[in-house]
Amino acid sequence: MICQGWISLAAWIVFGLLIEGLIGFRSPVLLDDSVRREMFRLAHAHGTLLNLVLIAAAICARLDLIGIGRVTSLGLRAAVVLLPVGFLLAGLWHFKDDPGIAIFLVPLGAVLLLGSAFQIGYSAFRR
Amino acid sequence: MITPRSASAVTTCGFTLLAVALVAATVHLATPDYAGIRAGRIDAGYLESNNCRKCHEGNYATWHATFHRTMTQEANPKSVLGDFERDNTITYQGVRAEMVRENGRYWMKLTGVDGKKQQLEIGRTVGSRRIQQYLTKNGDQWARLPIAYDLVQRRWMHLNGSFFYPDGSDYKQHLTEWNSNCVFCHNVKAQPHLDWTDRSWNTEVAELGIACGACHGPAGEHAQHALSPVTRYRWHMKDPTARSLAVTNPAKLDSDRSAMVCGHCHGQRLPEPRDRIHTMMSDGDPYDAGKNLLEFYRPVQREDKIGSFSFASRFWQDGSPRLTAYEYQGMTRSKCFRAGKPGQRITCISCHEMHGGDPRGQLTEKMKTNAACTQCHQQFSTPVQLVEHTKHSAESSGSLCYNCHMPSIVYGVMSAHRTHDITIPRPDETVRFDKPNACNLCHLDWSVNRAIVASRRLWPNAFIDSKIGDRRFDEPEGQRALFAGDAVMRGLTAAAMTPANDVNGPLLLEAMQDRYPIVRYFAANALAAQYPAMPKPDYLASPEKRNAALQGWYSLFMPEQLRAAKEAHQRLSVGRVEVDVEVGE
Repeated sequence: MICQGWISLAAWIVFGLLIEGLIGFRSPVLLDDSVRREMFRLAHAHGTLLNLVLIAAAICARLDLIGIGRVTSLGLRAAVVLLPVGFLLAGLWHFKDDPGIAIFLVPLGAVLLLGSAFQIGYSAFRR
Repeated sequence: MITPRSASAVTTCGFTLLAVALVAATVHLATPDYAGIRAGRIDAGYLESNNCRKCHEGNYATWHATFHRTMTQEANPKSVLGDFERDNTITYQGVRAEMVRENGRYWMKLTGVDGKKQQLEIGRTVGSRRIQQYLTKNGDQWARLPIAYDLVQRRWMHLNGSFFYPDGSDYKQHLTEWNSNCVFCHNVKAQPHLDWTDRSWNTEVAELGIACGACHGPAGEHAQHALSPVTRYRWHMKDPTARSLAVTNPAKLDSDRSAMVCGHCHGQRLPEPRDRIHTMMSDGDPYDAGKNLLEFYRPVQREDKIGSFSFASRFWQDGSPRLTAYEYQGMTRSKCFRAGKPGQRITCISCHEMHGGDPRGQLTEKMKTNAACTQCHQQFSTPVQLVEHTKHSAESSGSLCYNCHMPSIVYGVMSAHRTHDITIPRPDETVRFDKPNACNLCHLDWSVNRAIVASRRLWPNAFIDSKIGDRRFDEPEGQRALFAGDAVMRGLTAAAMTPANDVNGPLLLEAMQDRYPIVRYFAANALAAQYPAMPKPDYLASPEKRNAALQGWYSLFMPEQLRAAKEAHQRLSVGRVEVDVEVGE
C-alpha cells in the first residue's frame, strides 16, 4: 500500500505539473474544453488526495493503530486508482457536453472507497 | 455460525448500501421535473434556455452572445441601453420626448405641441444591436413607443426616422400593438391569448427573446430523459434500443425544413388558410421548429393583399424583397435554391453559423469571404479563375462574390443589407424593374446604360439580350437613383455613397433636403464618414435647423458643383412616385 501510494502520488504530481503547464502556456487542448478541464481538475485532486489517504492508512496499519483486512486493502487500493483514473480518461475522451464513458469508473471507485473507509473505521471502533 | 469477521462484512455492506440509497434519494429529490411542463398549452414541453444550459454549456454560451437572446427583455439596468440621463431628450415635429430613470423605473415623458403631457412607463425593451425600441403596458396590452434609441449613432430617434414615411406623418403612427404583432417573432412560441368575446389579452410566451426553443422546439421530454446518465450515455453510444428523444436540430434536418426554421421569422408570412389567424390569436403560434412551415403559413409575396392593404411596396418590381425579414423569400427565389435537389440544397446554415462566428450577421470569418460560394462553385476558387469570371482584379471589391451576387439592395433597421435573392447582376434590371443593380452600386458615377454596354462587352454570352434603357438611364446612376427613385431606392443609394467623395458630396447635401428622414439619415452618415471633423447634420432636426447646420458644409465644395447637384435634384425628382413603406419586421 505504501509503495503504491508514493508512486501514484508522484504520478499525480506529474499530472498536476502537466495541467499547470497547459494552463500556463494557454493550451487550447485544456482551456478551450470545459469538460476536459473539469475532469482533469477532479482527476488531479482525487489522485493526490486519495494517495495521501492511502499512505496514511498504510502507516496507521504498520503502527498497528488500525487493522486493514485483505479485502479492505484491495478495495481501498482499487478505489484510489479507479476514482482519479475514471476522471482522467473521461476527460481525455469525452462526448460534446458529457464526460467520456470512463466516468462510470468513478461511482464504482466511490462505492469501494466508502466501503473501505467504513470498514477501517468500524474495525478501529471495535478495537 | 456468525464470525466477527462476517458480521463486520455484513455491517460494512449494509452501511455502504444505506449510504448509496440515501445519496440516490437525495439526488432524486433534487432532480427537476421537466415532464408535463406547460401541459395542455400550445407551448407544452418548451423549456427556458437556462434548463438547456445544464447539459449544453457551450451552445448556451454561443447563443448567449447573440443579439437573438436580447431581442425582447424586461427593462432593467442591464437591458436598457438608451441614454436616460445625459443626452435624453428629442424634439421631433414639435413634440418633446424626455426619457428618464426614476427609482429604478424607466419613463418616456412626452410634451405635445399643445403643451399636453403624457408619461409612459417603459416595461420592456426590443432589440439590442442597431436600435432599441421600448414597450409600455396599457391595461393588458403592450405597445411600442414612438421614440427609440439608435445604438449605432448613440442618439434618440423618432421611429419615423427608421421607416419610409415623410416628415409630417402622425407622431404616433408607428405605435404598434405588441401582443398581436412583434410577439410572434421576437420571442419563443408566442401565445397572444386574445379573448375574442371581450377583446381582452393574456399574452404569454415560452421565453422572452429568441431562445433555444425557437430553433430546437419543445425539449421537455428530451430533458426529462436526459436527466438519467444511463440514458445520456446510451444516446452517446448510439444504442439502437434507446428511445430517441432528440430535439430538433436544424443542422440535421433536410435543407428545406432547416430553412423553414429561420424562415419562420426571417420570411414574413401569412396564416394559411387565412382564417387560421383566429386560432393563432387565441391559442398561439402553431409552428414548432422542424415542422413543415408551409402547413401553417405562406410566405408573403409581392402580389399579396390583406383587404385593401398591399404588400407590393415591400418588394422590387420583379418580386425580389427589398426589406429585411424576407430573407427566406429571397433565398428560395435564388437559382442556388431552385436548381438544387429538394432537401439537399442551399439553406441558411450553409453560410450562417448560429453557435459561433460574429454575432453581427452570425457569420464566421471564413463565410464572410468567397469561401461561402466556393463551397459549391469550386470553379472560381483560384485567383486566375476568379479574375477570369469577375473581370475585376482578385483583391478588388469587384471580386468578392457577395458584392455582385448579393448586393446591398435591402433595407432594415437603419441599415442597407445584402439581398438573399442570390442572382446574376444585371444592370438592365434597373431599367426593367426600377431595382438597384450591383454594378451601379459601386460604379455610381456610371449610367445604367454604360453598365449595360460594359456588361455586354465583358460577358457577351450572359448579357447578349440585355437592352439599354431610355435617356433617363444615361444619367449617372448615383445621381438618378438618389433623386428619381422612391424613398427605399434613394436611401439605399445614399448608403452606397458611404463614405462620400468630392463627386457625390454635393449630391448628398442635396439629399439632406429629402422629405423622408431615412434618406437624410443615410446621407448624413455618408457625409460624416468622409468629413469626421465637420459637425454631423441632424437628419431629424427641423428644416430651419438642418439648413443652418448645412451652411458650413457647402463651403467644402465648389459653387458650380452645388448648383449642378441642385439642378439635378429639381430635374430628376419631377414626377417621381413616392411609396411609403412600413417596415414590418
